[in-house]
Amino acid sequence: MLNGLDIEGDSLLHRMPVRGKLIALFVAAIGLFLTAELRLLVPALVLSAALYLSTGIGAGEAFRRVRFVLFTVLLVAGANYLFHSLHEALAVFCRLSTLVLLAAAVTATTGISAFMDEITRLLTPLERFGFVRAADVSLAVGLVIRFVPEIFARYGEIADAHKARGLPVRPLTTLVPLIILTLKDADTIAMAIDARGFRRH
Amino acid sequence: MTTRDIVLVALFAAIIVVLGLLPPITLGFIPVPITAQSLGVMLAGCILGAKRGAAAVLLVLLLVAIGLPVLSGGRGGLAVFAGPTAGYLVGWVFGAFVCGLIAERLVKEEQGELTQFLAFLAAAVVGGIAVVYLFGVPWLAYMSGKAFFETALAGLVFVPGDLIKAFVAMLAGRAVLAGYPLLPQRA
Repeated sequence: MLNGLDIEGDSLLHRMPVRGKLIALFVAAIGLFLTAELRLLVPALVLSAALYLSTGIGAGEAFRRVRFVLFTVLLVAGANYLFHSLHEALAVFCRLSTLVLLAAAVTATTGISAFMDEITRLLTPLERFGFVRAADVSLAVGLVIRFVPEIFARYGEIADAHKARGLPVRPLTTLVPLIILTLKDADTIAMAIDARGFRRH
Repeated sequence: MTTRDIVLVALFAAIIVVLGLLPPITLGFIPVPITAQSLGVMLAGCILGAKRGAAAVLLVLLLVAIGLPVLSGGRGGLAVFAGPTAGYLVGWVFGAFVCGLIAERLVKEEQGELTQFLAFLAAAVVGGIAVVYLFGVPWLAYMSGKAFFETALAGLVFVPGDLIKAFVAMLAGRAVLAGYPLLPQRA
């Protein structure tokens, strides 16, 4: 049910290390907000679109993934056109779309486990201050991926139970049993984790 | 955090993901469809309290960032954080925290039903709406360049839907407190 958004491939971005990609994305974001020059922003947009498509993602899938964010970008650009100038609208549109496409390109070329490894590495310095344990974060991510299909199935069962009794499926009457039934499992799951010694200190 | 707390956080994050899988509801008198996912943010604070609630929301955002399509409508990946509405997502974490903080302070098990309802409503409105907008609106305004005032104003079309969610969070928060209380034992 939960599949990552990464595409298999061997493009330039695929071969780049995760940290390098994230730093490049961050630098690009700062750079894009420093300029309002269309002579720079339009080529940047073309370049980022080319980069996104070079990941081997099909054009249809590429558009499907970013259409919602691009829609909000378009609304913001439209507001700029209505209340200010065309130049301002184009600058905002190019700047934000470039950033969205670059971010989508990073996501399309980075596997979930590679990304998670990088997060674990970034969190390790925080362990020294006792903030968070990197192993706990990976454990929690694993648990979510494991339990989403089960909770979704449970929602279906609760909705069926409503229909069997001739009751309308309302958010409130389904939500409360869903939450209580799910959270009641916490004790047994926690015991199972401790019994296996996953969180050794 | 104990192992049980980590499991509770993960299970609640999974519930928030499932809420995003449900189809959005359209109500006649509000121009935008309502998704149940931001209801999950209010519920996280009302049910798990400040620390665990914020951790559950943070976990969902981590899943988004590493490239899982867990936001409503199958959205996910870093592109979501690059868009103009990313401030609302950041606001979710602080919103769940404040919501939990208010619920922890105001709700007591021995109180009457009405007092508990009002406390949960206050938590959901302040944490789940005010704090979320406090991050979302300025971010949206900054991203929109010169038309910042107009876009910030347009962001307010979501307020009626959010008030309905706060009301549902109030009812559900109290029902869960009666059925399986987790709020009194803070992490």
